[in-house]
Amino acid sequence: MNGKKKIRAYRRRDYHAFIYLAPWLIGLCVLQLYPFLSSLYYSFTDYQITSSPVWAGLKNYITLFTSDKEFITSLSATIRFTLMTVPGKLILALAVAVFLNRDIKGINLIRTFYYIPSLFGGSIAIAMLWKVMFMDNGVVNALLNSIGISSVSWLGNPNVALKTICMLEIWQFGSSMVMFLAALKQVPKELYEAASIDGAGKIRKFFSITVPQITSIIFFNMIMQTINALQAYTSASVITDGGPLKATYLLGLKLYKEGFSYFKMGYACAISWVMFAIILVVTLLLFRFSNTWVYYEDSDVF
Amino acid sequence: MKTISRRDFLRGSAAGMAGVALAGLTGSSFVMAEESDSTWEKAEYTGEDATLRFSWWGGDERLEATLAVIEAFEADYPTIQIEAEYGSSDGYNDKLATQLASGTAPDIIQIDPEYMPTYVATNPDYFVSFDEYGFDFSNYDESFLRLQINGYYDGQQVGIPTGIAGPALLVNQELAEAIGLDFTGDYTWEDLIEWGKLVREYDDSMYLMCANKTYLSTFVFFNYAKQLTGQTVFDVDNGVINLTAEQAETCLEYIQRLYDEEVIAPASYMAAYDGDNLQSDPNWINSKYVCTFAHVSTMSVMMAANETATWYAGELPMLDGALDPGWTANCPQVIAVASSSSNIEASMLFLDYFFNNPESMSTLACTRSVPATEKAREICTEDGTLDSILMDAANICSAYGGLTPDRYASSEEGKTIVTDAIETVGYGASTPAEAAADMVSQLEMLI
Amino acid sequence: MTKEQKKKLNLVGSYLVILVNGVVLLYPIIWMFFATFKTNEEIFGTTALLPSSFNLKNYIEGWTGTVIPYTKYFINTAILVIPTTLFTIVSSSLVAYGFARFRFPGKKILFAILIATLMLPNSTIIIPRYMLYNKLHWLDSYLPFYVPAILACNPFFSYMLIQFMRGLPRELDESAYIDGCGTFRVFYQILLPLMKPAMFSAALFQFMWTYNDYFNSLIYINSVKKYTVSLALRLSLDAESVVVWGKVLAMAFVAVVPLIILFFSAQKYFVEGIATSGLKG
Repeated sequence: MNGKKKIRAYRRRDYHAFIYLAPWLIGLCVLQLYPFLSSLYYSFTDYQITSSPVWAGLKNYITLFTSDKEFITSLSATIRFTLMTVPGKLILALAVAVFLNRDIKGINLIRTFYYIPSLFGGSIAIAMLWKVMFMDNGVVNALLNSIGISSVSWLGNPNVALKTICMLEIWQFGSSMVMFLAALKQVPKELYEAASIDGAGKIRKFFSITVPQITSIIFFNMIMQTINALQAYTSASVITDGGPLKATYLLGLKLYKEGFSYFKMGYACAISWVMFAIILVVTLLLFRFSNTWVYYEDSDVF
Repeated sequence: MKTISRRDFLRGSAAGMAGVALAGLTGSSFVMAEESDSTWEKAEYTGEDATLRFSWWGGDERLEATLAVIEAFEADYPTIQIEAEYGSSDGYNDKLATQLASGTAPDIIQIDPEYMPTYVATNPDYFVSFDEYGFDFSNYDESFLRLQINGYYDGQQVGIPTGIAGPALLVNQELAEAIGLDFTGDYTWEDLIEWGKLVREYDDSMYLMCANKTYLSTFVFFNYAKQLTGQTVFDVDNGVINLTAEQAETCLEYIQRLYDEEVIAPASYMAAYDGDNLQSDPNWINSKYVCTFAHVSTMSVMMAANETATWYAGELPMLDGALDPGWTANCPQVIAVASSSSNIEASMLFLDYFFNNPESMSTLACTRSVPATEKAREICTEDGTLDSILMDAANICSAYGGLTPDRYASSEEGKTIVTDAIETVGYGASTPAEAAADMVSQLEMLI
Repeated sequence: MTKEQKKKLNLVGSYLVILVNGVVLLYPIIWMFFATFKTNEEIFGTTALLPSSFNLKNYIEGWTGTVIPYTKYFINTAILVIPTTLFTIVSSSLVAYGFARFRFPGKKILFAILIATLMLPNSTIIIPRYMLYNKLHWLDSYLPFYVPAILACNPFFSYMLIQFMRGLPRELDESAYIDGCGTFRVFYQILLPLMKPAMFSAALFQFMWTYNDYFNSLIYINSVKKYTVSLALRLSLDAESVVVWGKVLAMAFVAVVPLIILFFSAQKYFVEGIATSGLKG
């Protein structure tokens, strides 16, 4: 955004913004600032939850970067998890949304069915289900065997387990799908009609009209999914508990264990601020890169 | 070896009544404490009206029994209300830590004994000493009660053990007999390996033992290590580690042999049934294992998962020339009173009712494992609520009287370090020597 | 082939694709549904889809089996979730309007802060936040859910609505201003009606996430009589007791029914509704 050209004096009306932002600004100062700063402070202390924090300087950060072997393993598992789930979820959600964005009989019911896996969320029932599905003599292997494919150790093989977790994440693509469905409603019908007259096929319409028109929502989903994926721990915790051989020991899980199971809350806070930095960098890159492909109806006056 | 007399004693107990025993706890007497004959007398409460919060985790049976005791108590003491805060074990410790840190913990708290040392070490004042309030422990066996794992810290009882737990070996009787294995006598770790081969010869879809990395760590590693070294992993008082890398290697080598000789199922197969999830293994349900290690407190879960088999509690394996028996009883939970409690006196009164009242004993029965007091065990035996297999198992592990695990090794982080080492050996990702060296260096950082 | 025939064939093809994909996608759910009629032994010990017998025992025992019947948990959940959802939507759309439609000093920095508050993992702020709420005397009430919703403390929704609002042309506002509308009227009368699809999906998410949220409910709620469905679902889960999984799954299914109904009936607002055609492009 080349803001320089657009500089103009603020109008009185512009200051109305603060009225609308007021709830959030109050929430930020009253409810959010204190926990954030506390966590930052704890990251420089020895803090065992049940004792008071003792100043330790950079010790936690130094330990993390020099002597904690798990950190690199966890970081790489987290990155692989993110690289698999974010595109997987976005592509599947978009494909299904576009496909279900039509007016045929029973479409409401069909969309509902497609959304059911996501409605269960990270519940204990889903965790149990995934285990029974993917255990060595579980349902998936039984199905594979019946069509002549040999069994896969979905949860026991360190090279496969992370993918099994990712499949669960991708399977719950529903929320992104809903957002895409809502976004598709904002695409003007005339554009498609005009393109039809030009003789454009379905695929061309998708890439030349649909995608450009909903880039802002694609971008939003990408940002949110990336932030969530980099912090994720629920599925890895309930299904594989980080195993086997730490293959699914995501950073979010490590941080949780260090804090609540090992009572090293100071150290956990240090990990979480390192994660904060990583997420910040990734997000900034995505925002920087977004100028080239994300399109806003308000002609980028932001 | 001392095991001989113990075994003779156990033979007698198995033939006789389950309810009489647990003499092995003291290693001394079969004599019942005299107090246990006296009837419970209701103490008067003259203090002000109180509402006490009581938190615990547990399943449906425990919930019903505990609520029934609360109800009975409230009927006897109308000026005291007990607010029950119950739930799943999932997240219980996280919430409790948060509450303790903020001074919002309930008055009466059920606590995981393996988390307790951390709470007490970080703040010795979190919990009230029962001794200071003159709590009536006359029903308890002193030598069981006054152990750190059972709530005894720095000469003060700050937690009351709810029952007797500990290691057990659960054996599928038909299968063991068909293959010709007898777990009722003394046997060694080496025997297990030989027996494992017999099982594979008998049926190559079967294994001698059902074991995941968590159980290998809890049951095999720590007890093997104690028997090998005659010491706990850490010397807590002097803040040093006892276990050498060589000793750790010996233990891990044994575990590697369990995998290599197919005494247990492959690590990758068992990965789906980690933690306390052995009962969901289809091979367990379909009687493909001759036996499994278990906690006394989780045995009934394992038995319920396979009702076609007949079960018995076997003896536990020993090392030739063991320096310590290793195996020892502990408790599944302790109950403590928070010093932040608004009414400690009333809390004491409630716990007295909870643990010492014969009616409560009868109601609670085995919902928190085998009861810790002789008197409660008698009552449950009369009621027929005491499972004889559980009782046998409690007797067996109590009789060994091995060292109690130290607080570093039994902390969540200590256990994870050991379990991780076992996993790398199980997957063949590192040799026992490498894993042992790595493990010991990580354990050293715990202090 | 006539055009009619081709259309019909297309339609059949569409349904076929939907069906095949649906079965693959939903197979685990179908399996789970049948598992609600099974015993533990059947669930873990066999891979068969169908249960050996159908009876509603797990449902009935699950519903009434806890000390407090599920009706109470559902009522509590409604009291917790509905206001939280409404507060979130109101506050987030106001904040989104502030960001999307005004140019004010410090905007970039504030927006960066808004996004940044999403980036710190939750686990490490649990304890200081709990201490704060304790000081405010909010524990064991639903205030730890209501107040942050009123104060738009989940930036996910603000940001989501910002993105959707930026998809609406500015000319709308400008022409309304020329007609003499104030900022609130532009928001309320011009933009909000067009934001319905986005707001309904945001509401749906907030509803669903609060409904399913276990950890926060666990931490902040102590009294059993204030327990929500997500807490109730795990009541019987304990490593030391026999868990009747059929019952747990049956209740998980019952618990998801309100969400299914909500999604099904709210759909017309966000996937059918508003014709923005003619406004755009």
